[in-house]
Amino acid sequence: MWTFALARLAGILMLGLCVGVLITPIWLWVLGAACLYLGWQLLSLYRLDRWLRLRSQIDPPNLGGVWGDIVAQVVRLHRRKQFHKQRLVQLFRELRRSTAALPDGVIILSTQREIVWFNRQAARLLGLKRPVDLGLRIDNLIRSPEFVLYLHGDDFAMPLVIRPPVQLELYLALQMVPYGGGQSLLLVRDVTRQMRLEAMRKDFVANASHELRTPLTVISGYLDTLADDSSIDPAWAGPIRDMRAQAQRMNAIIADLLVLSRLESTDGEAPREAVDVPSMLERLQRDALASAAQPRQVLLELQTHDGLFGAAHEIESAFTNLLVNGIKYTPGEGCVKMRWWSDAEGAYFAVIDSGIGIPAEHIPRLTERFYRVDEGRSRGQGGSGLGLAIVKHALQRHGGWLDVQSTEGKGSTFTCHFPAARIWRQTVRAAANA
Amino acid sequence: METADLTHHISRRFNEDLEKVRNQVLQMGGFVEQQLHKAITALVDGDSRLGESVATDDYKVNGMEVSIDEECSRILAIRAPAAGDLRVIVAIIKTITDLERIGDEGEKIGYIASRLATMERPVDKYREVKHLGRQVAQMVHDALDAFARMDSQAALKTAREDKMVDEEYESIQRQCITFMMEDPRTIRRALEIMWIVRALERIGDHAKNICEYVIYMVHGKDIRHTSLEDVARQIDAAHALARG
Repeated sequence: MWTFALARLAGILMLGLCVGVLITPIWLWVLGAACLYLGWQLLSLYRLDRWLRLRSQIDPPNLGGVWGDIVAQVVRLHRRKQFHKQRLVQLFRELRRSTAALPDGVIILSTQREIVWFNRQAARLLGLKRPVDLGLRIDNLIRSPEFVLYLHGDDFAMPLVIRPPVQLELYLALQMVPYGGGQSLLLVRDVTRQMRLEAMRKDFVANASHELRTPLTVISGYLDTLADDSSIDPAWAGPIRDMRAQAQRMNAIIADLLVLSRLESTDGEAPREAVDVPSMLERLQRDALASAAQPRQVLLELQTHDGLFGAAHEIESAFTNLLVNGIKYTPGEGCVKMRWWSDAEGAYFAVIDSGIGIPAEHIPRLTERFYRVDEGRSRGQGGSGLGLAIVKHALQRHGGWLDVQSTEGKGSTFTCHFPAARIWRQTVRAAANA
Repeated sequence: METADLTHHISRRFNEDLEKVRNQVLQMGGFVEQQLHKAITALVDGDSRLGESVATDDYKVNGMEVSIDEECSRILAIRAPAAGDLRVIVAIIKTITDLERIGDEGEKIGYIASRLATMERPVDKYREVKHLGRQVAQMVHDALDAFARMDSQAALKTAREDKMVDEEYESIQRQCITFMMEDPRTIRRALEIMWIVRALERIGDHAKNICEYVIYMVHGKDIRHTSLEDVARQIDAAHALARG
């Protein structure tokens, strides 16, 4: 193509030269031919430029030579671009359509927490309006103080459950999912059903426990009378003693169930009463030594005089449960040690026993209700199966958690971790006392 | 070049300031809404502790009002805003006053609810009051939404609902009077209920005020003491002008 163009230029110049040889002056003819060629090129250039400018309105010019080739290439490039663009647009539309059809609400938030896009379900659940709400800050529209706190925090591991102000009967779980470039997705899920079921379950447990308590009181009352009645055949003494023991156990289970359901039904964090942990532990130690069921060593190691801010009865019930467990699973010659210490990150209470230990595979499930490591174990000891569940809930209400370490045959260590914010520092206490 | 950059910088900071104080207003609104919901729930469920917590938390609303007020004075003093920006600041100052009053009424309801919780509850479990409470809470919510969206149409619509709240208020009032005449033993409780519905009716008025400030903020028209029909006409005209 290019050789052809060069040949044409050479031809035109040659023609000019030839005519110039016949009719002088030569330079005029050669110059004329060159100008003619240049004019033609300029005209082609002009037509190409005009077409590129008004491409959508006019057809491509019919140009010869190199110019025609260039036009063809531009047309090809343009077509390819158009094709890719269409495919992208289509893909994008499909993506939006599928997100829009999701059963959960999806909101895309910018770095400034402004609404970039939301789907239909999000609009329905949160009462958002299109297009006025695009670009508005999400916390200007969902103004619930808990949500504002959640949004500006940085802990998005768990969803936040709120009741939207527009539809009070709903419960919505909102979860932030940060992704590249500081943007984030806000997922909105309707969890009304789950919350209702959960509430029903809690109510059921609480009500059932209450209902069981009354008949049980009557039964234990009569059993007590029967046990003291000397006119009854001595052969019945054994069975009556067993029945009394079992009735007492049932009472203990119901009491624990009620404690647990109370812990569950009280929302939010535990109150911040000042609790003097060291003296509480000293009392627990005295009580444990006094109940001389199985005399053994119960040691107390107080490494700090710090206390806690929390609900005294909940903390005490958690500590008691751990201590009682430790004593229960430690054979006669063993030793149970309580330890209380603190550092900059938090305060810790540990019960260390030299008992039978717990196989590792059971440890994660220990705090489940009525979970038994083996069938005979706890029932023989008369436990309710709820102790550790109570410990877990009580600690949760204080922002703490339970850690269990155990070696089979050597003993176990149960450690309660309390956050630093809950510590009633000794220095503060001394100042208050002074 | 340098001066141009500087003015740009100042106006950006100014925008940020305005945006910040607007956010604070809406956060305060969110808290007030929550207080109102809690107060109504405390009454309907007979939860005296919840009612007390509403009454004791009111100081937070007052604190927010003071801090937003200070921020507004600061902006007025430093930036000397004009036109639309000035209207925003003026509307904010007025809005927080009304929000604070709504908080006060909520506190009142919470306090009375905690007292009523210890008394015998009527068979209908305060159904009418609950309904009125819902209506009023919705009004406050819509008013704040209109504020967030700068939506004068929604504001006008919400302001109109105040009439329905007033009617409901009167009907509960009549009902209470009937109860008191039928059985004088209910007088004490009925009087307390009257206080509550009165507070709810006042909250409706405050919500309407907020809507009026929104319209003022958007269109620069003071529509207080004007009939809502006139306002509607004016807004429509403004919209037609904007569109045409």
